Amino acid sequence: MDVHAAHNAVTAAAPAFSSRPEDIAWFILLLPLLAAAGITLIVRRSNFLAATFSIAATVTAFVLSFVLFLMFGVGDAAAVTSPFAWLHAGELAVNLGVTVDKLSTLMLLVVTGVSALVQVYSVGYMHGDRSFPRFFIGLSLFTFSMLGIVLADNFVMMFLFWELVGVSSWLLIGFWYEKESAADAAKKAFLTNRLGDFGFLLGIIIIWAAAGTVNFAELSQKLGAHPDLLGSLASVAGLLVFMGAMGKSAQFPLHVWLPDAMEGPTPVSALIHAATMVAAGVYMLCRVFFLYQVETAWPAALAFFGSISALDIIGGIGAFTALLAALMAIQQNDIKRILAYSTLSQLGYMVMAVGCGGPDAAMYHLTTHAGFKALLFLGAGSVIHACHHEQDIWKMGGLRKLMPKTFLTFALGTAALAGLPPLSGFYSKDAVLLAALDNGHPVLFGLGVLIAAMTTFYMLRLVLVAFLGSGRSEAAGHAHESPGAMTWPLVILAVPSVMLAWVPLGDYLTHHFFTDHGHVHGHGSEVISFGATISAAFGLVNHILFEPFNHAPLPAFLGTGALIIGAWIAVTLYWNAERDPLPKLLGSFARGMRNRFYFDEIYEAIFIPLHDLVARLADWFDRWVVGGLAVRGAHGSTELLGRALRIVQSGNLQTYTFFFVAGVALVVLIALK
Amino acid sequence: MSLTPGLHHFLVVSALLFSLGLLGVLARRNLLVIYMGLELMLNAANLALVAFSRFNANLNGQVMVFFIITVAAAEVAVGLALIVALYRKRQSAHVEDLTSLKL
Amino acid sequence: MSPLTSLLLTPFLGALLIAIVPGNYRVVHRALALFTGLLMLLQALVIFAGFQGGGTGLQFEQFAEWIPSVGLNYHVGVDGLNVGLVLMAAIVSFAAICAAWEVERQVKLFYLLLLLTTGGAIGAFISLDLFFLYFFNELALVPTFLMIGIWGRGEQRNYATFQITLYLTLGALVALTGLIALYVTSGVNTLDVVALKAVLAEKPLAESAQKLIFPLLLLGFGTLVGLWPFHSWAAPGYAAAPTPTAMMHAGVLKKVGLYVLIRVAWPFMPVGVQEWLPALALLCLGNILYCGWVAMRQRDLALLLGNSSLAHMGFCFLGLASLSVVGITGVVLIMAAHGLLAALSFALNGYLHTRCGTTDMDKLGGLLRQMPFIGTAIVMAFMAGCGLPGFANFPGELSVMFGAWKTLPWFVVAAAWGGLVIGGVYMLRAIRAVVHGPAKADFNHVGDANYWRRLPFLVLLAALIWFGIRPDSLATSIQPVVAEIVKSAAPTQPTPAPAAVAATH
Repeated sequence: MDVHAAHNAVTAAAPAFSSRPEDIAWFILLLPLLAAAGITLIVRRSNFLAATFSIAATVTAFVLSFVLFLMFGVGDAAAVTSPFAWLHAGELAVNLGVTVDKLSTLMLLVVTGVSALVQVYSVGYMHGDRSFPRFFIGLSLFTFSMLGIVLADNFVMMFLFWELVGVSSWLLIGFWYEKESAADAAKKAFLTNRLGDFGFLLGIIIIWAAAGTVNFAELSQKLGAHPDLLGSLASVAGLLVFMGAMGKSAQFPLHVWLPDAMEGPTPVSALIHAATMVAAGVYMLCRVFFLYQVETAWPAALAFFGSISALDIIGGIGAFTALLAALMAIQQNDIKRILAYSTLSQLGYMVMAVGCGGPDAAMYHLTTHAGFKALLFLGAGSVIHACHHEQDIWKMGGLRKLMPKTFLTFALGTAALAGLPPLSGFYSKDAVLLAALDNGHPVLFGLGVLIAAMTTFYMLRLVLVAFLGSGRSEAAGHAHESPGAMTWPLVILAVPSVMLAWVPLGDYLTHHFFTDHGHVHGHGSEVISFGATISAAFGLVNHILFEPFNHAPLPAFLGTGALIIGAWIAVTLYWNAERDPLPKLLGSFARGMRNRFYFDEIYEAIFIPLHDLVARLADWFDRWVVGGLAVRGAHGSTELLGRALRIVQSGNLQTYTFFFVAGVALVVLIALK
Repeated sequence: MSLTPGLHHFLVVSALLFSLGLLGVLARRNLLVIYMGLELMLNAANLALVAFSRFNANLNGQVMVFFIITVAAAEVAVGLALIVALYRKRQSAHVEDLTSLKL
Repeated sequence: MSPLTSLLLTPFLGALLIAIVPGNYRVVHRALALFTGLLMLLQALVIFAGFQGGGTGLQFEQFAEWIPSVGLNYHVGVDGLNVGLVLMAAIVSFAAICAAWEVERQVKLFYLLLLLTTGGAIGAFISLDLFFLYFFNELALVPTFLMIGIWGRGEQRNYATFQITLYLTLGALVALTGLIALYVTSGVNTLDVVALKAVLAEKPLAESAQKLIFPLLLLGFGTLVGLWPFHSWAAPGYAAAPTPTAMMHAGVLKKVGLYVLIRVAWPFMPVGVQEWLPALALLCLGNILYCGWVAMRQRDLALLLGNSSLAHMGFCFLGLASLSVVGITGVVLIMAAHGLLAALSFALNGYLHTRCGTTDMDKLGGLLRQMPFIGTAIVMAFMAGCGLPGFANFPGELSVMFGAWKTLPWFVVAAAWGGLVIGGVYMLRAIRAVVHGPAKADFNHVGDANYWRRLPFLVLLAALIWFGIRPDSLATSIQPVVAEIVKSAAPTQPTPAPAAVAATH
């Protein structure tokens, strides 16, 4: 009944368009592209029109996504797809199609919602930039690429948009391309992602070669019927595909690009870190989770992995990344970098959840994280804007009174990220911890709790130093609240940061991932429909708010405990602190944290020179052996022969005639013999 | 021994003429004289052809001679024109002065 | 008269008209050449649009006897294999003629030679008689050498001209030896591809002959394409060539060699293919990895592009070595795509050379500010060069890697590394060095392309994007022909698995 109601609502709301959900999805996908093309071709010179085009397209996409969400997310409509032929060559058949199901509609909402708010915010933040329209072209393209990943119904289409996300991130990170550091950061981000894509592509090829299709639905069906379809390469293929996620979601060891990507304008950071790009990796893992439910199998060369599955490795990498990034975040002083490492850490959390067999928890955390991380980044942007592009938190301070709206929303975002009940972050983090505990990963669970404490610590450090205390620099003293275009998105984003978990999002995702396979997993066994939620709002909210404590008290209480401990240490150390006390306490370990454990330096000292050395050798070989020895050698020997024969060429006509006659005589002589 | 000249007589004369012409071409330095040597060689060939034609009772050789004479006449016209042109340009018709083919 | 014949005649008639107009009417020469190019483009578009995809038969065929005693006939026609290449050749020719606007010296002669080159290229692609194919290829190559020698640039010009002339002439000679050997051993008294196909299907060449002729064709035509290690003419040659010449040669003429290999060597000599496949697979790594690495070290943009173009050719050889429908279809897709891309890259390189006076990447920088259009075009072209989806190269390279996986998995790993990582590194470095970074005072006077000068870039970009978004517009035509070729090249290979057939529906 819900479906019908929603369906009718759709037809009423958008009579101009076809109400087939797949058509709406196509339209959502193409809207940002149309905006980008429109700005490029028509209104390149008008700041106002460029922003209008872009924002209008994204907002429309958001509204349509909401319609789709009502149809699919809330009701139980089956997933639909509508392919059109893209490339057919022999056994390779690739269609471009959209998948509309619970997962993609939710993600559509996240992407279009955050993107729309970031674009509104950018009108204020980028005000006066000489390339203002270009910025909106970039944002639209970025949104388009990300929507493509969300809606993709097969691996090749996903890879296609995967690469497009890479290039749009390159465009935006390098937006201020005249700055050397920005141009370098863009290049680094793109190339690091390319490393991941290398594995991703190989994984796709392996899967296609074994299963004969790249379509998700068909693959899922085939793998469900024959779990050994991928043969001995099953786990390798899974890990190769994960390599793609490793690049985009910045997992160790490909995490180095993300902090550098802060060179882009702050709205870009918000977009990259909240809804697009880094989310793409986790989303992809969830989308292809069926790939990890096959039997573990390693080729003979990798047999030493034994019964360790691809998921175990993914979980380990996720947890390690989360820990590493949290440690690094503790000693950063740049407000955006702290948030960047925090993103890294939270992504590690999500990947860990996937690795523990909890894609629902990962998606849950991704969704809530998108809200509060966008809020935090935009808040940081507001602070940076107000402090005349000062980013060092130790040069800020006392901003609480000068920028009340920013402070309040930022504090809410911080609390959500730290996992303060009943804000959204608490529930999703709880879901991740629960997934680790329930699926038998006690070590990862322990790490998760530890990281939760560290998260609270570094976020509170940021808030205490930047917003409380007194101004430590002139810029901070003269800060003023940002314009409405920038503060309103903050206020709007604060709403989901607080309340997102009050709708039964966790159950919704669990339902998507696990009912098809016959076993309902995790907390909240019954699925609660949206209509029912509204009708019995208060009772349910009550039910949901305290659900974690009732259902699985261990992670809930440990998580809250971690929060309290982290907060306590942060307050002790940083309340009214004038300088950072940690370097003294921790010594060289703090230096390691501050310098990101020297990963960039290690890569720059080992891997990049190694590849360059090979290139240098090839170039040397080409220049001296192929170009020198072979080509010049052939040329030289020919020339030497020519020089020898040149002696004969006197230029005297009669000498030539003599040789000629002598030759004829010789031939005659031979002929007559 | 009959006094009627046989084929070999003609051929010997032809060979002598050819050798004289060749010697002229190889040894003389003046282009005009070299050219005369060339003509001599051509006519030696003509003589041989006519002789063969006569002794083999076959007219093909004589037809060939007519061709050669015609072509030789044309060639003389072109060749002399070239020599004159060369002389005008270089003020010399000596082969020692004409070595621009040498690098 | 077949539209193909009129397409072929157009450039020669244009050249004739230009030859008649006296040398000091520059504008007339330019206008005539441009009009000829436009006419060719339109005709090629009509042919492409009128082509019925999905079958293996020849269309727009025309046959006329020429010297029946030795079996030489004028025979033209297109099937899925060459219809896209003809369109690509016409697009690139048009763009090259537009780009020739930069030529200032001896304009008449340049346009004359350029039109001969374009005519030769078109003729080579549509000719079904191998004699004519070879003849037209040479007809296109000889003016290329002259153009590089007379209008070339840089200090290495003479050396580069010598090198490219000698390499390509020698390569062509080896290839000709192979063709003559084919003519003699087949005993059919013709070099007509259709006739050869019919006869060789009944009575294949002797195995020993195949094993001998195949390497001649592979090395001969391979040299024309830049197969490693016979590649060192390419980069310096393109760096020295005037812009339109580099566009025509790197874009179109290079593909003729590959085209002949697919058309002749693979279907007619299955035993030779099997014998030499491992060697080819190894050599293609030379192109993909080695030339990629060499490209990484270049400081001159033209040399970088030349080496990158060789690396792309490596993908073609890998696809050929895969001996699969997917892979070889990918090869043809790459051929069309790379033709457009190489022409675009060298056009941009030429533009930079004319405007900035250098293509040294250490000296260039920050050009996006001075020339937003050209800068954007450079970004797009170089991104396409490292295999960005949305441009035509991506589907081709993707198919090659998919197709080669089953038989040459480790080579695919290397190719993916070469295409995604090495390609990314040198292309991104080039973008970083040329258009990014702070603006340099040296180039303050440098202006962006005006509307008319943008035309060649826009045409090429549009084609690249179109074929990138709709690769099926080429692939559906290519695939049946390739399937037939693969069937005759590898008779033991099973028909596509039922699973894959099901997946297409």
